[in-house]
Amino acid sequence: MSRTLMRFTGVGGQGVLLAGEIFAAAKIKTGGYGLKTATYTSQVRGGPTVVDITLDDEEIYYPYANDGEINFMLSVAQVSYDLFKNGVMKGGTIVIDPNLITPAEGDRDYWNIYEIPIITIAKEEVGNVITQSVVALAIANTMTKAIDKDVLIETMLSKVPPKVHEANLKAYELGEKYARACHMD
Amino acid sequence: MATREVISTGNELAAIAAVDAGCMFFGGYPLTPSSEVMHVISDLLPKKGGVAIQMEDEIAGICCVIGAAMSGKRALTATSGPGMSLKAENLGLAQMAEVPLVCVNVMRGGPSTGLPTRVSQGDILQSKNPSHGDYKSITLCAGSLAECYTETVRAFNIADRFMQPVIVLLDETLGHMHGKAELPTLEDVEAGIVPRKRFDGPADEYFPYQCEHDEPAVLNPMFEGYRYHFTGLHHDKNGFPTEEIETCRKLIQRLEDKVELHKDEIESYEEFMMDDADVMIVAYGSVSLAAKEAIRHLRADGIHAGLFRPITIWPSPAEKIKEHTDRIKKVLVVELNIGQFHSEVQRAAARLDIDGLFKVNGRPISPYEIVNKVKEL
Repeated sequence: MSRTLMRFTGVGGQGVLLAGEIFAAAKIKTGGYGLKTATYTSQVRGGPTVVDITLDDEEIYYPYANDGEINFMLSVAQVSYDLFKNGVMKGGTIVIDPNLITPAEGDRDYWNIYEIPIITIAKEEVGNVITQSVVALAIANTMTKAIDKDVLIETMLSKVPPKVHEANLKAYELGEKYARACHMD
Repeated sequence: MATREVISTGNELAAIAAVDAGCMFFGGYPLTPSSEVMHVISDLLPKKGGVAIQMEDEIAGICCVIGAAMSGKRALTATSGPGMSLKAENLGLAQMAEVPLVCVNVMRGGPSTGLPTRVSQGDILQSKNPSHGDYKSITLCAGSLAECYTETVRAFNIADRFMQPVIVLLDETLGHMHGKAELPTLEDVEAGIVPRKRFDGPADEYFPYQCEHDEPAVLNPMFEGYRYHFTGLHHDKNGFPTEEIETCRKLIQRLEDKVELHKDEIESYEEFMMDDADVMIVAYGSVSLAAKEAIRHLRADGIHAGLFRPITIWPSPAEKIKEHTDRIKKVLVVELNIGQFHSEVQRAAARLDIDGLFKVNGRPISPYEIVNKVKEL
């Protein structure tokens, strides 16, 4: 596998960090290298947050994604989408929550933009808004095929409390379902 | 040597390293981006019978660490730039009274409160002389997740050997990045611990500051029957204040010489693809990661670049730097400040034509910025 670069963006407090840690840990479990870095502002909540995930079979030195090299980005806040979209390579994939983000003119010509109501899925279909990071995890992995699904789910379950295992498994299934539906369009 | 693989962050690894190295006390005040060091060690220390305490501010944090260290325990504090400024006076006290402790500084943008959540390397010169007066700082700088662990362990061993504070520099990127680290086993870490020297003779023959011209004081733990006076004033062999001319001179000269004449015990650096290099990049901390990635690209383009990475920042590996700069014409220092280590490379090389790539906006330097700069040289 060559290098996979993913970027999750939102605003502080949405919990986008966890998905990055799960991806990195799962890749390491399979014998590769995974790094997660997060950039955030000094606002406690509401500031734009970006998580870069680098996965590779070779050792990774520089932990941030270089602009223009990101394969996949997922965004759940307009401010972060606007700030960080240019890191994604031409023809790369961007998943947005259409209730929270309106792409600018021309964005759809430059990137493959898919609309998935991530927050609504977590809130209403899973019944717990915190599971949005696992919905996002499932969407990212289904679209990039970065990690073996079983390893990813096992890693995810090891990082969330047992009482929410069931909700997170449901969140993963739903994320996967919506991502597949996009690719069938 | 056997290793163990962990998945963690730099801050967490520094905290784990302290505990593995036998640290039994943490005192401090949480400060972004160092707070996780305190969070993690507050969980770990009580389980080992140790103590972690959040004090009212950074000054109180280092003061209680000095006290803990005087009781014979290994002790840690952790902070970031603004906290280092507050701790400066008491770092000076620990230098003067010869109290071993470790201070982890996870660098963020400065001066003042600066850029709390952003990466910087602006504390290089501060770590050389945090307090007024003459003394010789020891500062180690981690350049990978694994080194956040190994350099913290080394800092404790050096602090006890030289009886003075040792600063461990991390930066926001290293402190918060999350990934794989290959660490030495706990058995190897424990086997490497050399206990602090102590005096076992009769109490009335104990003179803690009466030592060889290049050796540290021997401070027995307090409350065990060996008495001495503790002060930041110039002091005699018992620690009592004095202004006697030769005693004052010898004391300050000894603080210098105990480090300067034993640099080889402290010096540490990495040479990455330096064997055939005709371009030398000097970088440390998280910036060295970008430099290594840049060197991959440069070599793919046929440019023979190599990296010299100081791990011990102070005292700097000046002789080694000069050895390389005498041979290599093109030298580029890359750092997240406006040339704080660049001036040290100029000094070591005795050359004024050392190039620099600097950034001070809280953002990391990317490998491509380094590649482009090297191609311009």
